Amino acid sequence: MIVPRLALRTLRREWRLPELRTLVAALLLSVIALGAVATLAARVQRAVLMSAAELIGGDLGIDAASPLPRSFVEHAKALGLRTSRVAGFPSVAFANDHSQLLTVTAADAAWPLRGKLVVQTRDGESHITHGPPAGSVYLDHRALVALGLELGDRVQVGGTNLVIAGLIEQQPGASDLIALAPRAVMALADAESTGLLGTGSRARHQLLVAGAAGPVAAYRAWARVHLPTDAHLVTPDEVQQRLAVAFDRAGTFLRLSALLAALLAGIAVALSAQRYARRKTDEIALLRALGASSRFAFGNLAWTLAVPSVLAALAGVGIALGLASAAFAYANGLLPPAARQAPLPIGPAFAAAGIALAVLVGFALPPLARLKSVPPIAVFRRSAAQTTRGFDALYLVPVLVAVGLIALETGSWKLAGVLAACLAGAAAFTSILTLSLIWLIRRHAARLNPALRLGTSALTRRRGLSLLQSCAIALGLTALLLLAVVAPALLDNWRRELPRDTPNWFVINLQSAQRADVRNALQRLGATRFNDMPVAVGKLVSIDGVDVETTPFRGRDISRDASQQVRLSWSDSLPPANRVIAGHWFTAQPREAEVSLDIAWIHRFGLHLGDTLGFLIGNQRIDARLTSIREVDWSRFNVNFFVMLDPAHGETLPHTWIASFYLPPGHAQALATFSRDFPSLSLIDVDQLLDRARQIVAQVTAAARWVLAFSLIAGALVLAAALTMSAAERRHEAALLRTLGARRGQLRAAALCEFGLLGAIAGLTALLAAAGGGAWLARTVFRIREFSPPWPSLVIAAVVCAVVVAALGLAGTRKVLRTPPLLLLRR
Amino acid sequence: MDNGRMDDGTRMALISATGLGKHVEGPTGRLDILDDVSLEVNAGETVAITGASGSGKTTLLGLLAGLDLPSRGSVRLEGHALEAMDEETRAQLRLKLVGFVFQSFHLLPALTAEENVLLPLELDATSNATTRAREALDAVGLRARGAHYPYQLSGGEQQRVAIARAFVHGPRILFADEPTGNLDHHSRDGIADLLFRLNREHRTTLVLVTHDLALASRCTRVHDLVDGRLVAHAR
Repeated sequence: MIVPRLALRTLRREWRLPELRTLVAALLLSVIALGAVATLAARVQRAVLMSAAELIGGDLGIDAASPLPRSFVEHAKALGLRTSRVAGFPSVAFANDHSQLLTVTAADAAWPLRGKLVVQTRDGESHITHGPPAGSVYLDHRALVALGLELGDRVQVGGTNLVIAGLIEQQPGASDLIALAPRAVMALADAESTGLLGTGSRARHQLLVAGAAGPVAAYRAWARVHLPTDAHLVTPDEVQQRLAVAFDRAGTFLRLSALLAALLAGIAVALSAQRYARRKTDEIALLRALGASSRFAFGNLAWTLAVPSVLAALAGVGIALGLASAAFAYANGLLPPAARQAPLPIGPAFAAAGIALAVLVGFALPPLARLKSVPPIAVFRRSAAQTTRGFDALYLVPVLVAVGLIALETGSWKLAGVLAACLAGAAAFTSILTLSLIWLIRRHAARLNPALRLGTSALTRRRGLSLLQSCAIALGLTALLLLAVVAPALLDNWRRELPRDTPNWFVINLQSAQRADVRNALQRLGATRFNDMPVAVGKLVSIDGVDVETTPFRGRDISRDASQQVRLSWSDSLPPANRVIAGHWFTAQPREAEVSLDIAWIHRFGLHLGDTLGFLIGNQRIDARLTSIREVDWSRFNVNFFVMLDPAHGETLPHTWIASFYLPPGHAQALATFSRDFPSLSLIDVDQLLDRARQIVAQVTAAARWVLAFSLIAGALVLAAALTMSAAERRHEAALLRTLGARRGQLRAAALCEFGLLGAIAGLTALLAAAGGGAWLARTVFRIREFSPPWPSLVIAAVVCAVVVAALGLAGTRKVLRTPPLLLLRR
Repeated sequence: MDNGRMDDGTRMALISATGLGKHVEGPTGRLDILDDVSLEVNAGETVAITGASGSGKTTLLGLLAGLDLPSRGSVRLEGHALEAMDEETRAQLRLKLVGFVFQSFHLLPALTAEENVLLPLELDATSNATTRAREALDAVGLRARGAHYPYQLSGGEQQRVAIARAFVHGPRILFADEPTGNLDHHSRDGIADLLFRLNREHRTTLVLVTHDLALASRCTRVHDLVDGRLVAHAR
């Protein structure tokens, strides 16, 4: 017990040491930054999934060709979940002399469980409501126009007359890719009684459930086992694959930013630990001289650091949770109502504390571990403690910790490796620059102004420390510039990738003969960015001659995946938002059919380049050799395909076309006319999806500012730690110089010169490293093709940083300048 | 006044302390360290101040050198009243007038021996600084060790470098605080010889604080500090 007791006594005395305070502050900051971001991310992820839930109308859906057995509803109720039954089908509506094919949703009174059904009633007011009562129907604007009706009129659907009780303004599931325009919502009871859902109908039946995350997950697991053969699960994350991609990017960006702040704090930890270790050298030597074992001496040190660290980590968890709650409350308006009530997850904050403690141990270990080898003789001669070693493997620990944590946060060793290489490159560049400068100063110091000579020689005098300080400050500034200047530019580029005129409508079932007419008709309506691609629908039947429906392929049963419908397309050139990552794009007129697959397919079926895939399209069979693997950016809202064939062979297949175009809002009536002119076409509106993606980008941008604030504080801590490291030496030096007659102005000019040079080196390094790192991040992580570093902002920011470093350095030496020279006589 | 002579032709004291008192506020109340100390040192004199540990020797030295200000009384260096100057002006006066030798040497660890000696010359932007620094090192017998860092020198050698630094800019007064206190018997004599030889050659006025009576006895005048009061020794 003597070790902890001694450690606590030591701590009581040493608590005021600046290096110990910096160390604890750095840890606290790391926990807060990582914890707040992780908590927020977990909560926002829940919110995004709930947004997706709003789009499908529940937390989970089961889609089937026939009504589901009662047991599905009963089991959901037993788990405390709310349920709703919905059916979707196309039906022709009649009114006056008009007829119009509608996409009908027949729903019970509980629908929707998530999201909003907003209808406008005859009084002109908008109401949030549920499925309509029996005998009434809600229609969207296009349906009303197409049928020449108004609210309150009657319309015949499925042979029964229904009163139009509302105009649909917003409807869950409206952006579902099976939705056809125009839309109608009627009571499920009416649909059942009129036989619209009877045998032979084309209706799809859905059971929606909603409730707490645990029971929903339990239900999902149960349903997966009991699912009838014609049914499949509809989950928010599956439905909103695009949203998920956007969110993944956002989450990765935020977590990475927070981690950079934490690693920045890690540098402050390393500097403080170095200083602390130097201070403790005498004490350890004395304890060893008095007969303490090295284990005792080191144990005392470990306890002294562990107590405030654990307390700081716990305080950090509390503050992080508080901050995350505050941020969540602030952003409440942006979130769906269900997400607002989501409980605050506490796991991520504790995980963050663990990560921050790992950073602390990783970064503080190398200098502190050296104390273990302090010999007792150092009590007489301090230089005996300075055993110099050319290379200390312990210094690899913080590097490994940093790379490991980046990999853990991003799930990518490659990303971690490149980021680490970028930071290591910045450190190496800074070292070379600093050493060159020191060499130049030593060589030409005599020619400099005497006052400046004093300052520049400060750098040469403390060569090792200068090197360490310039590297720490440069790395800090690199991280700061990456976050402050490059990140907003990256986000801006990303935002510009979803410009206002991103295609917001899709047309499917377009026949070859109709292409020109449809294009002209849409252009007349004011549609832009028209783009169409052929599409053939079939299924995968064999790989390398193996019948995948009956035989396991490479040891895996892929029959279930292979039984799904496949949409194939073809194109002469690589479509936008596609990148060939292996193999080569199609050659013109290949002898045998060639196929190109998205990487997701490669993983799903365990394929290799050169494999031959057999597809059945209608009655036509095609065997194509896999010649390229693509990576498709699904968040771009372009028409994209997992499977693409070479055009020469693709064109021989029975196919229709899918087109995308942009139509500004407010053209619904014109589209209704278009829909009537081309009744066989299906129109899909993706505006809602686009809006949601834009909203996520906006939220991420706002959150990034938060994280930046953490990084700024971490950067200040690094500078403070760097100054603390040399403070004692500076104070002694200043006192001596004052005793010898140096004026304050001389000392100030010297400090300004020293820190100005440090700032300039750090600024220059950070400028280049941030530009390089940013360009790499843009290309590989954010998949932004045309990113050029924002040079003017970067240069300005680097100059400002350099000036701030110089100013802070000068301010930090104020106390040193006030040191009374008499102090020297007292030492 | 000029060259240590007053306008009326009488010889002026280079250092003049009158009624010096210094106290500090401690946890148990006021603690008087010096009480009504007066002292005059003429140019070229060598004066030793002796006393037991804690008698206030170092405090007195600090006040005489202008490193600190007295609670009461006055100090004049070459006629300049130190209490009327701010620290900045006192620093300039020290640069022109004063050299120091400390008990624990106080060499800058990151500077070589030559660079340490260069310091006062650099502070004053003196020309030929390097040549003069090398001459000063030569004078203490360490020319060959100019490129060595303090940790590469023995205690005696470090003190020689400190003495070279103290004389390099030709100060009129040298303050030495226990200059041999950290040295072995053999080195002690060598350093004392060197200090007094250079003092003679440079015609410097020496004020020496020590509890080593043998060293003190080499001075022309010795004062004993007892309970914060100065007692003159007859020689």
